[in-house]
Amino acid sequence: MMLINLSLDKILDLLKYNQNDPLIFSTILFLFFFFIVLIFYNLFSKNKNIRVFLLIIFSLYFYYKVVGFYFIILIVSAVINFYLTKWMSTYENFTKRRWVLILIIVLNLAILAYFKYTNFILQIINDVANKNIEPLAIFLPIGISFYTFKALNYVFDVYLDTLKPAKNLSDFCVFLFFFPNLLAGPIDRASEFLPQIDKEPFISKEDLGKAIFLISAGLLKKVVIADYISLNYVDRIFDFPIRYTGLENLIAVYGYALQIYCDFSGYSDMAIGIAILLGFKLMDNFNSPFKATSIADFWRRWHISLSKWLLDYLFRPIQFKFRNLHLYGNMIALFITFLLCGLWHGAGWNFILWGALHGFFMSFALLIQKPKNAFYTKLRIKNTRFLKFFQVIITFHLVAFSFLVFRANNISLVGQVISQIFTFFHGEIITQFIEKLPLIFTLILVGYLFHFIPLSLENKIKKLIAVTPWFGKALILAVVIWIAAQFKSADIQPFIYFQF
Amino acid sequence: MISPELKKVILKELNLDDFDLKDETTAPEVPGWDSLNHINIILAVEEYFKIKFKSYEVLRLKNVGDLQKLVDSKTGKK
Repeated sequence: MMLINLSLDKILDLLKYNQNDPLIFSTILFLFFFFIVLIFYNLFSKNKNIRVFLLIIFSLYFYYKVVGFYFIILIVSAVINFYLTKWMSTYENFTKRRWVLILIIVLNLAILAYFKYTNFILQIINDVANKNIEPLAIFLPIGISFYTFKALNYVFDVYLDTLKPAKNLSDFCVFLFFFPNLLAGPIDRASEFLPQIDKEPFISKEDLGKAIFLISAGLLKKVVIADYISLNYVDRIFDFPIRYTGLENLIAVYGYALQIYCDFSGYSDMAIGIAILLGFKLMDNFNSPFKATSIADFWRRWHISLSKWLLDYLFRPIQFKFRNLHLYGNMIALFITFLLCGLWHGAGWNFILWGALHGFFMSFALLIQKPKNAFYTKLRIKNTRFLKFFQVIITFHLVAFSFLVFRANNISLVGQVISQIFTFFHGEIITQFIEKLPLIFTLILVGYLFHFIPLSLENKIKKLIAVTPWFGKALILAVVIWIAAQFKSADIQPFIYFQF
Repeated sequence: MISPELKKVILKELNLDDFDLKDETTAPEVPGWDSLNHINIILAVEEYFKIKFKSYEVLRLKNVGDLQKLVDSKTGKK
């Protein structure tokens, strides 16, 4: 009897919120629950009410496992946004509409600002006014930036009259709570997502192939590459850059760029793959960002759901305001957009500086666009492979440098890393490096090689998985999970993007 | 139908000799009509037709046909 009690307690403990054990995709508990949900979901796939009920309940439980009782914020956000937007849509007159819109934006940003930026603002007040206000113990509910932006795209589209309000609160809740993209995106569009709720889920062979490809690729990117190289290499170098040579620092900079890409895009891949299994198509979030030939091109390939959001709801309105300034209006709009993009990522100067850097890159590129193109035409290298090659290399280094700033919670780290690279390089130790850290070297190399494989090959792999019989598909997943388990270190590294 | 005047203004701004602009044509389908150039076209249309747009009127445009309708409503043509 005692034994049963004991294990029951253990199970209950497992099911309860635990700060150190969120229900992220790469945990066994998630796989277990998801499997059960998937069975019921398919059994009752013809009944919309049951589908909606299952998605809402499981999503709320999923969020409870991540943030505890703060999952209430999600419900508050849904109620505020759904009912106020419905109210807004009753006004034909845009002046009145605008007032409700402002009210909704203020409420959303107030919730976001309280949880995310209060202590940062206090710190600034302390620094500026030389005061000593103690930071408040405010819990940061993971994913709040993502679902706040998800809700806002619905609000904006209804405001502009390009989208009809959701039919009922439960439909809106499915959109807002949807567990695959709740914590770290893609920040899906309500206009694309809402109509899918009504449709009976249908998963074609191609869809299934894509889902298995994405879940496998995502898991490998996250667990094998990102977690492993961060824990065993990048973090160590960035903890004490001056203890290492410039070569090791440079590899850490390259390693971190790869790590943050694999971590974040791996999570997105899994989210998109899992959504497919539930019959939902989410928007693409990454498109080989390191293949970009300019910073503008990078933002068309990196965190696409955010950059599109910023383009539509922040850049365009600012650009319109400053339209009489022509080129300079565009430059100002770009800079402000990216500055706020930085702030969205987190309450810290490193994020703001990172955003400012991208804003500067983008607006400066715009300023020199005409003379630059004339120069390329004169040299007859415009649109050549030769030029493209150098553009990719330069863009990559600008991006990698910006990620170093992003990573640095103390700006002196950037100086130390750069100074080591330029004054203490010691390229000759590369052979020693490969000998001592063969796995790190191989993972970084393989990570980048895979990044640069042509899209056509990737599509071929997806098709190949699609036509594989079911036991073959199961075998692929089993092998991937087995490899991931081999690499999984004692603790699961939290996803980098979760802290935003 | 896209009026010859609107077509002329858009093509001039994009440095295009000719492009078949239909009601359902969207910006990305037209060479050079990107998110940065978009505002130059809006500005050129405002200046040519001597009209002023409001931000929500422009932000909700989905295609060239919508722009034509907006211009028509502003210039008093229906």
